[in-house]
Amino acid sequence: MAETTDLFLPRTPAVVIDRASMTYTVSSDEKRASRGNVLGRALRKIAGRESTVHIDALKELSLVAYHGEAIGVIGLNGSGKSTLMKLICGKIQPTGGAVYASSTPIMLGVSAALVPDLSGAHNVILGCLAMGLTRAQIADRHEAIMELAGLGSSINLPMRSYSSGMSSRLRFAIAAAIDPEILIIDEALNTGDDEFRGRTKQRMDQLREQAGCVFLVSHSMKTIQDLCTRVIWIDKGDLLFDGDTETALGWYRKYTKELAGGDRFAAAKIRRRMQNTLETVSVEPLQPGRRKSVGA
Amino acid sequence: MSQETKVELVAKTVPVRVDLRSLTRVGAKPSLIDYLISLWNYRHFMVYDARARVQSGNKRDRLGSAWLLLDPLLNGLGYFLIFGLLLGASRGIENFIGYLIIGVFLFQMSSRAIVSGARVIPTNRNVIQAFNFPRATLAVAVNIREFLANIPVIIMMLLMILVIAPAEEITWRWLLLVPAVALQLVFNLGAGLLLAPLVAKVNDVVHVISFAMRFWMFASCVMFSIDRYNSVPAIKAIVEANPLYLVLDIVRSSVLYSQTPGWQSWAGLAAWALGAVVIGMLVFWKGEESYGRDD
Repeated sequence: MAETTDLFLPRTPAVVIDRASMTYTVSSDEKRASRGNVLGRALRKIAGRESTVHIDALKELSLVAYHGEAIGVIGLNGSGKSTLMKLICGKIQPTGGAVYASSTPIMLGVSAALVPDLSGAHNVILGCLAMGLTRAQIADRHEAIMELAGLGSSINLPMRSYSSGMSSRLRFAIAAAIDPEILIIDEALNTGDDEFRGRTKQRMDQLREQAGCVFLVSHSMKTIQDLCTRVIWIDKGDLLFDGDTETALGWYRKYTKELAGGDRFAAAKIRRRMQNTLETVSVEPLQPGRRKSVGA
Repeated sequence: MSQETKVELVAKTVPVRVDLRSLTRVGAKPSLIDYLISLWNYRHFMVYDARARVQSGNKRDRLGSAWLLLDPLLNGLGYFLIFGLLLGASRGIENFIGYLIIGVFLFQMSSRAIVSGARVIPTNRNVIQAFNFPRATLAVAVNIREFLANIPVIIMMLLMILVIAPAEEITWRWLLLVPAVALQLVFNLGAGLLLAPLVAKVNDVVHVISFAMRFWMFASCVMFSIDRYNSVPAIKAIVEANPLYLVLDIVRSSVLYSQTPGWQSWAGLAAWALGAVVIGMLVFWKGEESYGRDD
């Protein structure tokens, strides 16, 4: 068994997703007045919970990403791309299954405010400390962060006075301060003006080249084609494709064209086809004494 | 396309064998020892967070940080008018104003620290979701912040006692204030750590805590003497075991009445403080993975 494993040794896994799924439970305004008696309805009203709905954002999904791969993630809006990325970087815990990684994955382009009452400069240091940098490292990188954020004297104002564009610049600059081994770039969340986009692109490219494994969420087929060695296609929480870029983009273009043309039947047919030809991965922890059977 | 119908309906499954030993589960909580070590590694984060927030804490108020002093001052004045003058709670208390000042100032310190410690997860949701770090750092940072914010408050308290309610004499016992308040801070941290996971799970607990704090104030003899409970020995015993009463009692006897507090009081307070912080840390660590989720 040793000789077969040796063949694959250079391909060390960076991220392993083992049957992870995500179900959100949210309260809905949907009226269910007919259900229950008067008392039950009144109680629900007082508690502010008319009804709760379970949303399967992501159905059971397995995936192994290796070092050296740049994985593009495509799918329509609401297909679960961002949920998958949040699972990978540990922002949320899956409701089923588990996600493993060789080091903490870092996501760029996160849209979460930091501490609104603190100034931008304070938030930079706080964010860097929260990522585990030491004071000396922060002092080294401070200039670069400030330059990347490009906020000028606004850096001394409290963050609550920032426009959403300004705070997303700052967040990007903070997150880009460290060189992560596993990098997640969610372009769908990026909201910068052209000037900022030009500036971040350079840093993003730099980080991408250094990182061992990159996940890139993008709606730009060209970006995916240029940068990715592998593509995952997610649709309505289902994994539809996992493989080489050309094939994925070809089918995805066909699918979106059918949808845009209003031909739901043809689109559904493509979807079914993708689902049926998909080779589902099942993760097996390595144990000695068994034959290795890697398809890819 | 006719071949589409021929496509087999059962999706193929490809087993991939992965050496999971080189990987760690994302967002998994470390062992307790590793957790405590990582807390220490994040000490700069805690101190920085605390200091930055002390400076910006009351920025939205016109009077800014003056509210740190004004708050207990106005409270004390209110209690003095109601309990001291109207209800005559001062009967049998030597130096009632000093008694009241220490009670109100020190109790407020704990109640602020415990309430904000309990709410640490919801108030820091943004930071929790943006970065991976041990969440207990936030609870510790809150208590460091309260400590820093309360240094001028304690100095103010001592000055007021000197000016308005002069004690007989200033003895070395004033120094006992330091260990007493230190133990109080440790207890605050423990109580905050203990309550934070509860609040993170059920936000409604916040309302119960602020309500319970009011009760706790009466059970700590902030504005009247413990002799009031003489008629009900059971309640008196509970009050005497109450950690905040122990703090107030220790500080009052050493600062106001030039009496060295008995070892029983110290032992009781130390047990509360250490017990709370150990149990609190355990409980907080247990829930580590669940904090900051959007439910």
